[in-house]
Amino acid sequence: MRNNRAKYAFLMPGVIWILLFTLFPLGYSFYLGLTDFRLGREAEFIGFDNYSEILGLDGDGGDDKALSTAGFTAFLAVGSTSMTLLAGTFIAWIFNHDIPFVKQMRAIITMPLFAAPIALGFLGVVIFNETSGPVNNILQGLGLPRVNWFISPWGARFAVLFTDVWQWTPFVFIVVLAAMQGIPEDLFESARLDTKSNWLLFRHITFPLIAPALGTVALLRLVETFKAIDIPFSLTRGGPGQVTQTYSYYTYEKGLVGSFQLGEASALAYLMVIVAIIISAFYFSRVSARFE
Amino acid sequence: MKRLIIFVLLASLLMLGTLSVTAQDTFFGKTADELFPIPDVAANEQEQELAFQALMNANIPDGRALGEGKTMTFGVLGQGSRGGISGTIYFWRNAFEAATGAEMEIVEIPYNQLGTTIPADFLTEQYTYDAFIGAAWQYGDWVSNGWIQPIDQWIGDERFPQWSPDDTAPAFRALLEWDGQTYGTQMDGDAQLFYYRYDILNDPDWQAAYEEEVGSPMPNPPTTWQELLAVTDFFNGKDWNGDGDPDDGISLHLAAGGQGHFHYATLAASFAVTPSDGDDPTAVSKYDNVFWFDPDDMTPLINEPGHVRALEFLQELAATGQEAQFGWQLGDAWDNFLGGNAIATFSWGDVGSLSQDVNRSSIKGNLGASVIPCSSEWYDREIGEFVVDTENPNCVGNTTGGSWHPTMSTFTEEPELTYFFMALLANPSINFYNATTGWQGIDPCCTYQLYSPRGNATSEDYTAVGFDAGDMERYINSYGANVYDKTTYLTYLRIPGTLEYIQETLDIRLSEAMTGQSTAQEALDATAADWAEITDDLDVDSQLAIYQASIGYNP
Repeated sequence: MRNNRAKYAFLMPGVIWILLFTLFPLGYSFYLGLTDFRLGREAEFIGFDNYSEILGLDGDGGDDKALSTAGFTAFLAVGSTSMTLLAGTFIAWIFNHDIPFVKQMRAIITMPLFAAPIALGFLGVVIFNETSGPVNNILQGLGLPRVNWFISPWGARFAVLFTDVWQWTPFVFIVVLAAMQGIPEDLFESARLDTKSNWLLFRHITFPLIAPALGTVALLRLVETFKAIDIPFSLTRGGPGQVTQTYSYYTYEKGLVGSFQLGEASALAYLMVIVAIIISAFYFSRVSARFE
Repeated sequence: MKRLIIFVLLASLLMLGTLSVTAQDTFFGKTADELFPIPDVAANEQEQELAFQALMNANIPDGRALGEGKTMTFGVLGQGSRGGISGTIYFWRNAFEAATGAEMEIVEIPYNQLGTTIPADFLTEQYTYDAFIGAAWQYGDWVSNGWIQPIDQWIGDERFPQWSPDDTAPAFRALLEWDGQTYGTQMDGDAQLFYYRYDILNDPDWQAAYEEEVGSPMPNPPTTWQELLAVTDFFNGKDWNGDGDPDDGISLHLAAGGQGHFHYATLAASFAVTPSDGDDPTAVSKYDNVFWFDPDDMTPLINEPGHVRALEFLQELAATGQEAQFGWQLGDAWDNFLGGNAIATFSWGDVGSLSQDVNRSSIKGNLGASVIPCSSEWYDREIGEFVVDTENPNCVGNTTGGSWHPTMSTFTEEPELTYFFMALLANPSINFYNATTGWQGIDPCCTYQLYSPRGNATSEDYTAVGFDAGDMERYINSYGANVYDKTTYLTYLRIPGTLEYIQETLDIRLSEAMTGQSTAQEALDATAADWAEITDDLDVDSQLAIYQASIGYNP
C-alpha cells in the first residue's frame, strides 16, 4: 500500500507537468479555435467557423495568406530537409575518413548549430546584402550575376532556405557521423576485397546502415521547419510582400501581433498540428517499419 | 579698518563667485560628468557640454518631494541606448533621477512589437509601464480602451518642468490631443520633407545638360512629383558625384516591415486628397480631405483611382534609384543620400540634422530642402475624374510618421512623478538640444525650433551647435512651411487597429506591388479587401464613430 503511494507520489510531478504544460494548452487552444476570441473582447462560440474560413469551406475562397504561407513552409520543409540531409551526410562521410585536423574541423563545422536561429537571421542580413554582402561578392568574383536576395521573391526564398540549411546541416552531420562510426570496420574490409569504389561501398554498406538515423533526422528536420519562424523573421521580415512568411510566422502574427485574433490563430495552429501528426504517422507506419 | 572692509568685500566676492560656479557646475549636486558620462551616455565632450548647458537652461524644479525612494517604469520604442527615440530616455535618465531622487527603469520595445507588447500589458492587466513612448497613430487603441490619461491638469504647474502646448505647431499639437484633451507631451514632430543636392541642382553645367537632354530648364527645386521624377530620371545612372560610378536619382526605403508605407502615404496624399472648396480648405466632407476610408460607411478608399495612380507613380519614381531600395530599411536609404549617392529623397526631419554629422554625412553644406512636392495630376472623387493642372497643382502636406512622444498610463500609481519626466523631455531647452543631435531621431515640432515668421529660433541657435547656416536656412524654413503653409493635410489615421490596417496589410501589399508580384491595382484591391475584413472584425459602427471623430467629420 505504502509502496503504491510512493509510486504515485513519484509520478505526480510528471503527471502535473504534462497536464499543465501539454494537455491544458492543447485543450484550451482547441477551445479557443472554436471561438472568435480577440484579446480584450468577449469571446463567442462559433463552432468550426474558423476552420471553414481558413480552408474556404464557407465558399469564401479561404484564407489566401494561410495558403501562401503554407506553400512557402512546404518549400522550406522539403528544400531544407533534403539539402541538410545531403550536405550533412556528405560532410559526415568525409569526416569519417582519416584526414588531418579532423577534430578542429568538426568543432568549426558544428558552430552554427549552437547559434540562436534569430542571430543567424540577422547575420544573414549582412551576408546576403545585395551591395556589400560576401555572397554577392563571391558570385561576382566567380563571374556570376549578383542576386537581389531580399528583393526578388525567389532570391528571398532561397536566402531563408540557405540560412536554415547553414544552421541545421551540422545537426545532420553529428547524427550521421555517429551512425557511420558505429558501422563495424570489418564490413568495409571484406567489401574492399570485391571493390575499390567508394561509391559502391557507400551505397551498399554505409547507406543501408545509416538509413534509420537518416529517417529519424528527416522527421525531426521536417517538424522543425514546420515550426520555423525566427530565421524568416530576422532575415526578411517575411518579405518581399509575404513570400517568405512561414505558416508559424503567420499564425504568430494573427494571434500575437496587433489584432490578437487568438481564436483564428488557434485554429491555424491546430491545422498545422494535424499535418504534423499525419507526417509523423506516415513515418512511423512506413519508414521506420522498413528499417526495423 | 579700510583694509578689513576691502578684505571682507573681496572674500564675499570670492565666496559668491565660488557659489555661483558651484551652482552652475552641478545639477542637484551632480556634475556634467556624472549626468552624462563619456562614453556611456554622451559620445564626447562637446555633446556632454551642450547637453549640460541645455539642462541648466531648462530651469528644472526640485522634484525630490515627488520621487524620493520611488521607481518609475518607462516603455519606449527600442533602438538601444544610442538609438533613435529610446536613446533620448537613456540620455536624460540621470538628470531625472538627480532632480527627483527617483529611479527609472527603461523597457525597450522593438518596432515590430509595439502593437503587441503594450496592448498585451494592458489587456492582461499587468500595468507594467507608468509611461510609454509610442506613435501618435496608436491613440485610437489607447484612448478608446482607456489605457492613457489626460495630462492637462499638470501643464503649467510650477512643481514640474515647464513647456507649453502653444509652442507646438498646430499640425503636431493635434497629435498630442484627443477629443479636446491633451494626452501627450511634445517631443518629436514627424513630417516628410523633400531633400535634394543643392550643389548639383545649382550647378550651371548640370542645368545646361538637363536642358539639352530633356528640352526644358531644370526645375530647381522641383515643386511637383512630376518634376521630381523628371529630375531623378535625368540624374539616375550618371556619375554626377565624380566617384567614377553611376549614381542614383532617388533614395527610398521600401522593404516590407521597413516603414516604406510612409513613403506611399506622403506621395499619394496629393494624388488622392482634395481640399474643400469652401472658406475652410481643411473642412472634411464625404469627398474632401479624406484619404483612408469613406467617412460615411468606412468603405476603404485605398483602391480608388487616385491611390492606384499614386502607387504606379511611386513605382516609376523608385525605378530612378537602385533596385536594392526594395530591400532597404530606413537607415539604408538615409545613408545612401547622406553618403552623396542620390540626388534626392523624401523623408523625415532626421535627414536635416544627420546631414550635419560629418561622421555619417558627406553632404554637409550641400543639403537642399523644400516642402513636400505637389501633384499636377490628382483624382477628384466628387466628379469621379482625374484633374491635370500644371499651373495650380494639388498640394497636400503631411504629418506622416510616429511623432513619437510620451503618454501616461491610466493605471500609474505615480502620475505626478511620471509627468515630471514627460515635462522634462518637453522643455524647450532640452527638446531643442535633442532635435539637433540627429542620432536621437527627434525632429522639429515647435516654434522655438523654427525661424521667423513661424517661430523664434535663429540661425545662431543652430550654428552654435556646429550646423551649417545655409543648410539650416533651407531645412528649417522648409520644415516650417511643410507643417504651417500647406492648404490641406493628409488625414492622420489613428483608429483602433491602425497597425493592423497599415503594417500588417498595406505594407505587405505595397511591397508585393513594388517587387513586381502584383500590379498597383491588384495590390490595392487586395488591401481594400483586407481592410473591409478588419473593419468588420472590429465592428463597423464602432470603427466608423472613432474614425469620424478622429478626422473631424460631422455627417
